[in-house]
Amino acid sequence: MSVALDQAPRRARLALRLGVFPAMVVCLVLAMLYSISAGRFEVPWIRVVEILWARVWDLSGSADTMDERIVELVRLPRVLLAALSGAALAVGGAALQGVFRNPLVSPQVLGISQGGAFGGALAILLGFHGVVLLGMSFVFGLAALVLVGLLAHINGRTEVLTVILAGMIVGAFFAALVSVLQFLADPNSSLPAIVYWLMGSFSTATWARLGLAVPGMALGLALVWSLRYRLNLLALDEAEARSLGVNPDRERWFIFIAATMMTGTSVAVAGVIGWIGLVVPHAARLIVGEDHRRLIPASALLGAAYLVLIDTMARTLTAAEIPLGVLTALIGAPVFAVLLRQHFKRAWHA
Amino acid sequence: MRLPIVFACTLLVPVPLAADPISFTDHEGREVTLPAPAQRIASIPIPMASTLIAIDGATDRLVGMNPTAKSAIMEGILGRIFPEARDIPSDITAPNFIPNVEELAQVNPELVIQWAGRGPDYIDPITNAGLNLMTIRYGSEELTREYMTMAATAMGRPERIEPLIEWRAEVQADMEARTAGLADEDRPSVLYLLRAMDNLRASGTENNYNAWYHILAGGRNAAEDMVGGWADINVEQVATWNPDVIFLNSFEADLTLDRIMDDPILSLTNAAQNGRVYKMPLGGYRWDPPNQESPLTWMWTANLLHPDVFDYDLRSEMRTAYQVLYGHDLTDADIDEILWMDMQGGQANYAQFAAP
Repeated sequence: MSVALDQAPRRARLALRLGVFPAMVVCLVLAMLYSISAGRFEVPWIRVVEILWARVWDLSGSADTMDERIVELVRLPRVLLAALSGAALAVGGAALQGVFRNPLVSPQVLGISQGGAFGGALAILLGFHGVVLLGMSFVFGLAALVLVGLLAHINGRTEVLTVILAGMIVGAFFAALVSVLQFLADPNSSLPAIVYWLMGSFSTATWARLGLAVPGMALGLALVWSLRYRLNLLALDEAEARSLGVNPDRERWFIFIAATMMTGTSVAVAGVIGWIGLVVPHAARLIVGEDHRRLIPASALLGAAYLVLIDTMARTLTAAEIPLGVLTALIGAPVFAVLLRQHFKRAWHA
Repeated sequence: MRLPIVFACTLLVPVPLAADPISFTDHEGREVTLPAPAQRIASIPIPMASTLIAIDGATDRLVGMNPTAKSAIMEGILGRIFPEARDIPSDITAPNFIPNVEELAQVNPELVIQWAGRGPDYIDPITNAGLNLMTIRYGSEELTREYMTMAATAMGRPERIEPLIEWRAEVQADMEARTAGLADEDRPSVLYLLRAMDNLRASGTENNYNAWYHILAGGRNAAEDMVGGWADINVEQVATWNPDVIFLNSFEADLTLDRIMDDPILSLTNAAQNGRVYKMPLGGYRWDPPNQESPLTWMWTANLLHPDVFDYDLRSEMRTAYQVLYGHDLTDADIDEILWMDMQGGQANYAQFAAP
């Protein structure tokens, strides 16, 4: 299945697009502001603004009261981490879909998520937290990717189909290893921690954790952004791309590494959050079309706003935290189904 | 209140070699029939291993257990009281409770104890192998008394269980009587954290044993608006509840009071501000869930929640109980270790537990 070409009348689309990006930015800012003011602990809206405003003027000031600490030390890093992760996961998905010319591709398909999940679960089992967990999650995400590369590299060339098949094999392998770890884990201590972490949550977000997440995610986002023109060429037929002077193998690997950095980091800081990389690029594609120069930033903005809102629901709907992976799947799957139907109906009638 | 020490001498009564067949109904409503008291018992649920040791006052009849049960025994005081427990096989099951029938057959148990209500995968391999099975359900005081009685019956030691049950009933009745007149506003709100290291998991209300004995001890469940038995929560939720007392679990070995004291949010709660954060003791088994030492847990909790209402002499209660349960004389150092005196001796109301 290849991505259907943008069929809508060009002029109408162009007019729409002029206002679309500012609207998305406004949506994201509103979502973040709403999220910072929402929570189980009641902090009046005006007080939130007051606290944030005070911090803008006095960065060195320390939070003393409960409401200040909740806003500054709990919600603010959490909202920023959710926004950054949402952008990273969505852009990772959009880039991979472009490379594979397949709208059903996501970091899961390449086994990156499973590799990262294994690394993180292993870290928890061995009693490591924080930086080590981050590192192991990233390293095993990368290991999964390298394995895919080695498996798919046949006769000096790497074909898209073999990459997808290799990704399925490696993903299944690491998923099995995660099961082995769960089997071995102590049900009194490490097993609940692993299970909770695998379901995905931002509840452990801190400024320190945000700081750990920023480099990998920012680098990945920058790399994909710098390759946004090339993504359009990579989306062409393999032979066609080669004839245009693109070295598909090498550029694909840049995208793979960028996606791994973003996915591995997100898995490490928040567990496995599925569906963002699949659903958000689709929504973005419906709004701004196929061109990666618009699709990449649109995916980033939509993904950020989407995950911020999902996380707000996760931590406010009930006194108990709802696992993020559950919410993204519950919301993501039906939305994906609707998007998919609309997508093909339109391609069909055009 | 004290567990009558005279029953400790029941430990010395030799196990009858031949007896009438034993028959009772287990927690899945199955009829369990044994030709004679079981001399070889394999236990798959984690807490049951230490319960069996307590009922028998010895490890001889425990021929297999859960690897996690074994590690709990070896790391805690039970491993020092019964060093021979080191040699009891623990490969009859994985930590996930699925039985390993080959290994079970190897240790040739006359009775296998397994969880009730977890479906045929946990049960069928045992019964298909022709082994006797007893299933237990877990979580409430009533169920605890039932399965302890079942175990004692299967072991042919009904005389051992009576004083243990009586002890539980007496302590419970005494506490109920003393807290009966407490007004709602005199009941401190109590938060129990089953998990606190990576995520926060609090006790809900539905069939939650911890919530049950916190109320018994004159407290109020801070998480009483929580649906279900357990719930994952965030620090904001704790701030909203602002509990008067926080109990940390004894399951997470690395968990210390610093988890609360160093947290920017949790350290602002009433509990932290007033020094009323405590880690649950680790005795013959972990004191948080129901087990053979539960009345000690209740008394410890009650003394902490209402030092004005309760004044149990915990150290002496512990000495008697350990003598009865395990035939062991606790030293002052043993007690200090079980109660984590080093770590939390300085917390509010904790000095009452210090060695005189």
